[in-house]
Amino acid sequence: MANLWKTILLAGVAIILGLFALGLGNDPRNIPSPLVGRSAPNLDGPALDEGPPIAMEAFKGRWLLVNFWGSWCGSCVREHGYLVALARKTASRPDFAMVGVDFKDTRDGGRRFLAELGDPGYRHLFDPDQKIAIDWGVYGAPETYLVDPSGIVRHKHVGPLFDGWFEKIALPIMETKP
Amino acid sequence: MWIEIAHFATIIALLLLLVQTIAPIVGVGLGRPVWIRVARQASFTTAFLLTLAIVGVVVSFLNHDFSVKYVAEHASRSLPLFYLTTALWGGHEGSLLFWAWLMALFSALAVAWHWSTHPRSIPWVLSILGALGFGFLVLVLFLSSPFERLAEPPFDGRDLNPLLQDPGMVFHPPFLYMGYVGFAIPFAFAIAALINGRITDEWILATRRWTLFSWAMLTTGIVFGAYWAYYELGWGGYWAWDPVENASFMPWLVGTALIHSVMVQERRRMFKTWNLFLIITTFALSLLGTFLVRSGVLSSVHAFASDPGRGVTILIFMAVVLLFSFGLLVLRADRLRGEVHLESPFSMEAAFLFNNLFLVIAGLTVLLGTLYPLAVETLGNAKVTVGAPYYNKVFIPIMLGILILMGLGPLLVWRGDKGSRLLRTLMLPVVSGIAGMGLAFLVFAIDHPYGVATVGLAFFVIHAHGLDFIQGIRKRMVNAKEGPIQAGMTLIGRNKRRYGGFLVHFGVLMMAAGFVGSGLFQEEKNLVMAQGDFVVIGPWRLEFEKLVEIEGNNWKAQEAIIQVNGPAGKLTLHPQKRVYRDHQMPTTEAAIFSGLREDLYIVLGDPVTDTTWAFRVYRNPLVSWIWNGSGLMALGILWALMQGRRPVKTRE
Repeated sequence: MANLWKTILLAGVAIILGLFALGLGNDPRNIPSPLVGRSAPNLDGPALDEGPPIAMEAFKGRWLLVNFWGSWCGSCVREHGYLVALARKTASRPDFAMVGVDFKDTRDGGRRFLAELGDPGYRHLFDPDQKIAIDWGVYGAPETYLVDPSGIVRHKHVGPLFDGWFEKIALPIMETKP
Repeated sequence: MWIEIAHFATIIALLLLLVQTIAPIVGVGLGRPVWIRVARQASFTTAFLLTLAIVGVVVSFLNHDFSVKYVAEHASRSLPLFYLTTALWGGHEGSLLFWAWLMALFSALAVAWHWSTHPRSIPWVLSILGALGFGFLVLVLFLSSPFERLAEPPFDGRDLNPLLQDPGMVFHPPFLYMGYVGFAIPFAFAIAALINGRITDEWILATRRWTLFSWAMLTTGIVFGAYWAYYELGWGGYWAWDPVENASFMPWLVGTALIHSVMVQERRRMFKTWNLFLIITTFALSLLGTFLVRSGVLSSVHAFASDPGRGVTILIFMAVVLLFSFGLLVLRADRLRGEVHLESPFSMEAAFLFNNLFLVIAGLTVLLGTLYPLAVETLGNAKVTVGAPYYNKVFIPIMLGILILMGLGPLLVWRGDKGSRLLRTLMLPVVSGIAGMGLAFLVFAIDHPYGVATVGLAFFVIHAHGLDFIQGIRKRMVNAKEGPIQAGMTLIGRNKRRYGGFLVHFGVLMMAAGFVGSGLFQEEKNLVMAQGDFVVIGPWRLEFEKLVEIEGNNWKAQEAIIQVNGPAGKLTLHPQKRVYRDHQMPTTEAAIFSGLREDLYIVLGDPVTDTTWAFRVYRNPLVSWIWNGSGLMALGILWALMQGRRPVKTRE
């Protein structure tokens, strides 16, 4: 009897420690967003380049990557190189589009950011008073959402995208039927 | 300059802790007390050096020395002095250093106090505390150094996370840490007892105050955290069962069990292995808390604090401590065969046994709820969260069981009681409890079974405690020929432990009332208002007068001016939405009117159109009882702490 308890105790401790060891690889920032699985909020508004306004409708039927950024955000600088590369790599895909949302920023700030770090080529909404960002529940920057062709948010990523993010995270989602 | 002094002091402290760990073992092995005295001096010097290190870091903060990486990352020129000082524990590096400092301080105190009274345990206590401190300093120095300099210092720092710029930040973490670290002392004494094989009651007696003190600190820390979460909305009321909140709650539950079961060992020499198990588990859970917060294995609102790279090291550290101490317990458990056995299920011992089972099961449920998402994510690759529904379902019944035992406790006697006498004693409190249930149902119109049960049990417990007190007074009046008031005073004064405990129990009841009131009867309204609109909620009428922009040291806010008419007369409340200069996350500053019956709680939401704003208004019944109840608990513990060591009863 006493031996049974001893075994249970030590096994319990070992199992918990083992679980932690395995769990260290998990991403704590992968916080489930209430938006995932629901229709994407509004994404209509003026463009950063003062061209014609951007409308969500235009992207219907394609997978859409929505990237929230601002020139004030340090991690966005880190992420930007990957976005440029990703835009170049996916330019030929007819089923995939990207759009940026420059929020809580000034036009000059946003433009200078793109001019200095490279323009990835896709368009950006300009959202100085965070109207869009608040709808989307953005609480930091950068944040990136993957929206499916029918307008349902399928994934949220908090923090900068990392090299290989598209292949590792986005593609598997895009290949499974909703 | 200061940071180099701090760095240097910490390095020396690390070496001294190594001495503190090894020297006593050598001293005991060779039979040379001088080695043990060396360790004692090492412990004092470490405490001094780490104090110096803390001062160094704080001074760097005060000087706005942004060439120090840690300062640059957690402060800015516009950060108010209040937070500048406490930003010390605003991040991982500083928190660990703070931990290590508290540990060194407590060790030095413990060694000074128990040096002559516990000569057999002291060498091992020194060694164990030294090893723990060494482990922490390794983390501080090699993995998360707060002493690093930046090659190109920025002009201004990155500022403290806005959620942390709050008085809650000033009090919540240090109290928790004091609780966590405080348990290290009883832990060390327990391990010492296991090592030197003299598993008598010595360690329990030596550490009674340490345990009570740590438990009180932990309680205070948890309540501060709950209060902080309550007024800084967004974290879901006062308790969200977030893994990191749970991390502080688990050692609290097991620590509570320990405080109770220690009494059984003192009086009846039972539960010896069990008590060792409890203290080891309590401390292990404290370490687990640190690990959960810092490693980021779990999704949590505290995720800002995490860094997986450090998780590995903390995990290794934790694994060593846990396997060593539980292994030792298992090896030595045979020596602890209790000579005394439970004589009757109607005895104080039995009540304590069940109290312990309930508390440990409660701890286990929280542990399961915390680990389950991790297990699913790790093994099944899906993300799940375990929320309030799970905990409410399993937790509330356990808590009600504990309340029953709380009422039975004072009525039971040690060793056992005749069933008939017990029934007679129980009669009145039970009637009281039933009356309380009726009152709850008929007068307060509480229709939820848990609510009714809680009110009934509260009456039962109060009656039982009152009865015990009155019986004590009667006995004293006869024996010592004192008047009733005099007798009551003597009783409370001589039995600080017992009546301090009673006070703590009343605090628990008050908190339970607060939980029931706010949990079951909260009323919420979501609405959109333009200037001049009003809304009625319960007895309150709220008018949205205007919206103003205000500016603080390093933040800007939109503030709604709300005129309130209600039971408390005319009030003006100011809910805010704040944005800190260097951060994007807006924070909500709820406006709260706190009353004895209920809190009126207003949150300013986002603008809906150009002229209208979203608001959330809550009536939170009895929330203030939670805070007041915890105050009562603190008073009770303070009273119990004032009692000196009780001479061991030798009659057996």
